[in-house]
Amino acid sequence: MTPEFISISWPQLMLALGFVTISGALSLYYQLRLEKDLAIGVVRTFVQLLAMGYLLKLLFGLNNALLVLAVYAGMTFFSVHIVRGRVKEKSVAYLAPTSLAVLISYSLITIIVTRVLIGAEPWWNPQFFIPIGGMVAGNSMNSLALTLERFFSELRNRRDEVEMMLCHGADYKESTESIFRDALRAGMIPAINSMMGVGLVSLPGMMTGQILAGTDPEEAVRYQIVVMLMIVGSTALASIIVLLLVRRRCFSSAMTLLLRRDNAQ
Amino acid sequence: MNIPQENSNDQSTPVLEFKNVSFSWPDGTGLKNVSFAVPKGQFVLISGPSGAGKSTLLRLAVRLEEIQHGEILLHGSSITTLYPPVLRTRIGFVQQTPIVLPGTVRSNLLMPFTLTSRKDCTQPKDSELLYWMDRLSLGHISLETEATNLSVGQKQRLCLIRSVLPKPDVICFDEPTSSLDRESREQVEQAAEELAGNGISILMVNHTSYHPTCPHMHITVSNGTVEVLK
Repeated sequence: MTPEFISISWPQLMLALGFVTISGALSLYYQLRLEKDLAIGVVRTFVQLLAMGYLLKLLFGLNNALLVLAVYAGMTFFSVHIVRGRVKEKSVAYLAPTSLAVLISYSLITIIVTRVLIGAEPWWNPQFFIPIGGMVAGNSMNSLALTLERFFSELRNRRDEVEMMLCHGADYKESTESIFRDALRAGMIPAINSMMGVGLVSLPGMMTGQILAGTDPEEAVRYQIVVMLMIVGSTALASIIVLLLVRRRCFSSAMTLLLRRDNAQ
Repeated sequence: MNIPQENSNDQSTPVLEFKNVSFSWPDGTGLKNVSFAVPKGQFVLISGPSGAGKSTLLRLAVRLEEIQHGEILLHGSSITTLYPPVLRTRIGFVQQTPIVLPGTVRSNLLMPFTLTSRKDCTQPKDSELLYWMDRLSLGHISLETEATNLSVGQKQRLCLIRSVLPKPDVICFDEPTSSLDRESREQVEQAAEELAGNGISILMVNHTSYHPTCPHMHITVSNGTVEVLK
């Protein structure tokens, strides 16, 4: 059977809204107060994705490197902004290290994938660069938030242990060795776990999208493998960069921990 | 064993000296214009009401908090002239809550010797570890025992030994006996007093009912001010 592409019409798209009524009904019945978030979520899904669809169409047509990179920079900016919203740490300046981690990991992995693995010409070809970059950005963003959240919360919760190490003459690296490992693991595990069930339990979104759009499943699978491996690499890279840069900032020049417990003086 | 050398051979120079030290927490509490000197081998008992600044005094000595005015001298030199990890090899600190790491009793006792700041120190032999274990009534515990399985009292004594092994010039004890039973408390207090007898200066924040049997200096901290009683 030859794969075929069936377009979704606007009325059909509107019919999909019916699925949301299940969540809405549950929220109303059990007084979950999720109606507002649900409504905003639906509107944002439509607006943001449609806007991205039109933007991609425009970018494909113009084929302009600067525009592609501008969109990429925007995605980078928003992912840092979202990480900032999730990690509510005030004592440590982590935004600059996060931005750097995002920039290095996104750019390096995305360029390697588009240029070397896919062999796109030019390397910034928007058809490949933007979707690949988006996937790297989305996953690395989650990984960065998990890594930082774990690192900061462990530093606060295990403050006595860190101080004990410092009091014996440990430096900032030695006193946070196990916390560093825990945070790095927290950032890397979701991407590694996602490889376990793929193909058995779940069909990833990108592959599903390609198959629905008429691509040969074997081709779609190859792309999906590249995507999964690239996400494993990018999340690891983003996590290690941000931790290496943020760790020193958690300590003063006198090698004391700047983060205090929430109830401390 | 290699221990950090004193900067001065002059026996009249105090090991540790607070000179007009002031510090304040964000809520305004803290210490005002604190001055006192601790000679070599002196046992200093620090007492005072809760929240008066006793623990802060000790934390300032190891730069876990930074003074805002005045200076703290170790063997006549400002503690800020030492790289903080090196300073903390010379002034030990035993916390109120005993913290041991997952691993054996031996690995916990030798942990300080694995740190970069002590790379030149010789690791003590098992015989030395066992000597101290025996002295603090932990002789029945094997060095291979998992340290996290010990009782609070045993952990506190382990922490004391861990601070003593590198032979610092000063050891600060921040209410080390607050969570111990009477027997364990007396063992820790007696060991600390003996350390002073062996030339290590001891600063101990402790409950008011404790009366050291060794010659000692008594400092009271109240409302951020310090008074040296004897």
